[in-house]
Amino acid sequence: MTPSSATESNRGANRASHHETLVQRGARFLERWGVIVAFVLLFAVSAFKQGGDFLNVENFRNLLNSNAAVGILAVGMTLVIISAGIDLSVGSIVVLAAALGTTAMNALLAAEWSEGSAVMLGGATTIVAGMLAGSLNGGLIVFGRIAPFIATLGGLAAFRSMALAIAAAGEIRSQSDTLFATIGRGGIPLFGLVNNADKPLTLSYSTVVFFCVAVIAQWFLSRSRFGRQLVAVGANETAARYAGVPIQWVRFRVYAIMGALAGVAGLVQSSRMNSVSTAQLGLGSELDAIAAVVIGGTSLRGGFGRVWGTVVGVLILGMITNILTISGVSPYWQGAVKGGVIVLAVLVQRGSRE
Amino acid sequence: MNGARLTVRDISVQYPGVLALDGVSLEFVPGEIHAIVGENGAGKSTLMKVLSGSIRPTRGTVLLDGVAHVFAKPSHALAAGIAMVHQELNLVATLSVAENVLLGRECTRWFGVAIDRAAQATRARELLAMLGADLDLDCAAGELTIAQAQFVEIAKCLASDARVLILDEPTAVLGEREAARLLARLRLLRDEGRTVIFISHHLDEVVAVADRVSVLRDGRLVQSFARVGDGTLRRVDAPAEAPADAPADEGALAGAMVGRTLGSIYPEKTAAASESELVLELIKFGAVGRSHDISLSVRAGEIVGLAGLVGSGRTETAEAMLGLRKRAGELRLCGKARVFSNPRTAMDEGVAYVSEDRKGRGLHVTLSSIVNMTLPSLAAFTRWGGVRIDGDQERAVTDVWINEFAIRCARPDLPISSLSGGNQQKFALARWMQTRPKVLIMDEPTRGVDVGAKGEIYRIIAQLAREGVACIIISSELPELIGVAHRVLVIHEGSLAGEVSAAQLREAKCEERIVRLASGLSAQASLDLKANDSKEHVLKENRA
Repeated sequence: MTPSSATESNRGANRASHHETLVQRGARFLERWGVIVAFVLLFAVSAFKQGGDFLNVENFRNLLNSNAAVGILAVGMTLVIISAGIDLSVGSIVVLAAALGTTAMNALLAAEWSEGSAVMLGGATTIVAGMLAGSLNGGLIVFGRIAPFIATLGGLAAFRSMALAIAAAGEIRSQSDTLFATIGRGGIPLFGLVNNADKPLTLSYSTVVFFCVAVIAQWFLSRSRFGRQLVAVGANETAARYAGVPIQWVRFRVYAIMGALAGVAGLVQSSRMNSVSTAQLGLGSELDAIAAVVIGGTSLRGGFGRVWGTVVGVLILGMITNILTISGVSPYWQGAVKGGVIVLAVLVQRGSRE
Repeated sequence: MNGARLTVRDISVQYPGVLALDGVSLEFVPGEIHAIVGENGAGKSTLMKVLSGSIRPTRGTVLLDGVAHVFAKPSHALAAGIAMVHQELNLVATLSVAENVLLGRECTRWFGVAIDRAAQATRARELLAMLGADLDLDCAAGELTIAQAQFVEIAKCLASDARVLILDEPTAVLGEREAARLLARLRLLRDEGRTVIFISHHLDEVVAVADRVSVLRDGRLVQSFARVGDGTLRRVDAPAEAPADAPADEGALAGAMVGRTLGSIYPEKTAAASESELVLELIKFGAVGRSHDISLSVRAGEIVGLAGLVGSGRTETAEAMLGLRKRAGELRLCGKARVFSNPRTAMDEGVAYVSEDRKGRGLHVTLSSIVNMTLPSLAAFTRWGGVRIDGDQERAVTDVWINEFAIRCARPDLPISSLSGGNQQKFALARWMQTRPKVLIMDEPTRGVDVGAKGEIYRIIAQLAREGVACIIISSELPELIGVAHRVLVIHEGSLAGEVSAAQLREAKCEERIVRLASGLSAQASLDLKANDSKEHVLKENRA
């Protein structure tokens, strides 16, 4: 405590309060639009530094394509985190669902089914398996009253272990000749654009799925009854119960949806590789998904969030990897840069809320 | 007045768009209880935040013992001997009473490494004894009643050797009896020479215990009252035309707060409906472990008050009706036995509950007024088979209620926390009215609401009853129950202690009757058996 003269403290207070409003205004702007600002800055820096290597349609196509699976997970994770929950098991659901789906598809092909129906049923199996795994999480959380962190931590270990057991920790190769791989590698031709090898450039199906999932999720979040109830449960579960919101049903559904989306991500990934590596597929992608959600400005405390922010967050993470790879930075160091970005995003968000 | 301990001089606080305080100058003297009163939004809380270092004033000076200070954070104010007890208590639920009292000031040995448990216990007991509170020192703070927790919170301030103690609505969550005890202890602290500053909406308390009263309105200091030789409060700056012999009472304070003289804030009661349909019946009903054998019935258009001390089981009984607690006994709705498993099933059959805990359970404070308004009746706002919400309809219905209940809310799309307590409470009522309930249970409907808004809420409740809603009001404010309810049931320690009929409510001694029933005494016993620390007693003793 330093006693000072009245006039001095007066002037100090004046200056401080004027200064604070400017800072507060800036912080509010960053909280709202920071993710866009970061995206634009990152884009400008890479365009300036790498020029043609970066500003290349095929580079963007690859950027989107390789991040579609994590993007689909991140969209689901946004909904889970808005409900004040978390799902650590998504990476393991990806591999388990893909392993089951691919195994089913191979079995059907071995039984002389047509390739079309085998691929379709295999794909459906992947998504349904994901949804069932997600429902198991939801059941444990809602009816078993286990904290989401703990319940899905169990899933993180158990689901991957099941996938490993199915293939003895090895690889499940798709027996489909071309059709299955087309899902992951094919796309809608972009009119008049060709790649470096003079082949027509396509917007990959996985990217289309990612954007469709994001648009639908954003619509549900801001315009549907389910979205409204999700926000209410996340903001204050007790108040939501008192207001007659079916909180258990809402929470159960969000984990089931997350599981189904993890199944979709599994389908996208396994078809892109045309095989399932049970030890590698989806490994650590729960963390990438959570990181994208946080960068996108969704509150980890629940009750507030936005899917479009998450989409930008996915692109930011992808772009960082992309830039570091093009610049020849060792992959060992890429994690450190990503980690720094995540912490920075949280700091910007928190700074303005207090 | 020369020995002012804490002085604020010409303090102004500018928030974005609002001048919360406008050139307020005040002196706080040792050995005085100084009450700050004013309607919600008058600037009381802002002033307290300036004093306790939570915010820095835009203009003006704070002087402590005549020296200007800048409190950049609460810890600076605390170090200077200014401690504040917030309305939301800040105890660590898992630590014991003794550990909470001495949190951050532990008695240690081995050069500060180990906690000296014996010394802790002695010191904590000493501090609690100053408040006359006899608590189990090893009890976890989470298991205390709110009244006990408040004593622990005040003991914490004493542990920091606070010379200035600021209490923000300390009695808002207390029953009459606990409030009376707390006020008696505040007088002890004053007599030790501490400065006690307290904010209260209960003007009777203010008139009873304050040595000085400052009335704020729209960020300005509008009037001051001081206790004079004969023990009455008088206006400090009484204008010449005011009769000098009129001591200030609750009415004078309320008049100063709102800038006009208030008539009765209670609307005229409708005739108690004796022939209308029996809507809700409880038969030997109770919340397991908290209340039992409660039988009551409410007719359409009737307002039934539930009185009782805090902790007597009133709220728990209501929660059991809604399926939020395990229940015993029978609940009949329009003659049919019903079991509700959660508030939603109760709502579907027309039973609505407005919680006493507006911030924690009643509303989503971080969400917008519109979202809060439509949440219970959301299904009615949906299209496409219950999937899409019709935002235009939501907005239109919210505007209807804003007009209907005269809610001051310019931007219903902003978080509801930006509204005053009274306006939030009106939304809490309106959202349930939108579900068209047959039974509306209101738990402390005017807690933390200023005088002007209280009157409007009473008017709303009376209007609901006229429209045929069966209303139950749970309240710790007896004048409110007497003024609004057709009859009052009193609960003592979880069971029905008695009923005060419509005719008895018109008698002068009905408040005393309720207090006696709530304290477990029979209503007819002679006056000298009266509970020692009932509020009436403390108030009278102080006036004497």
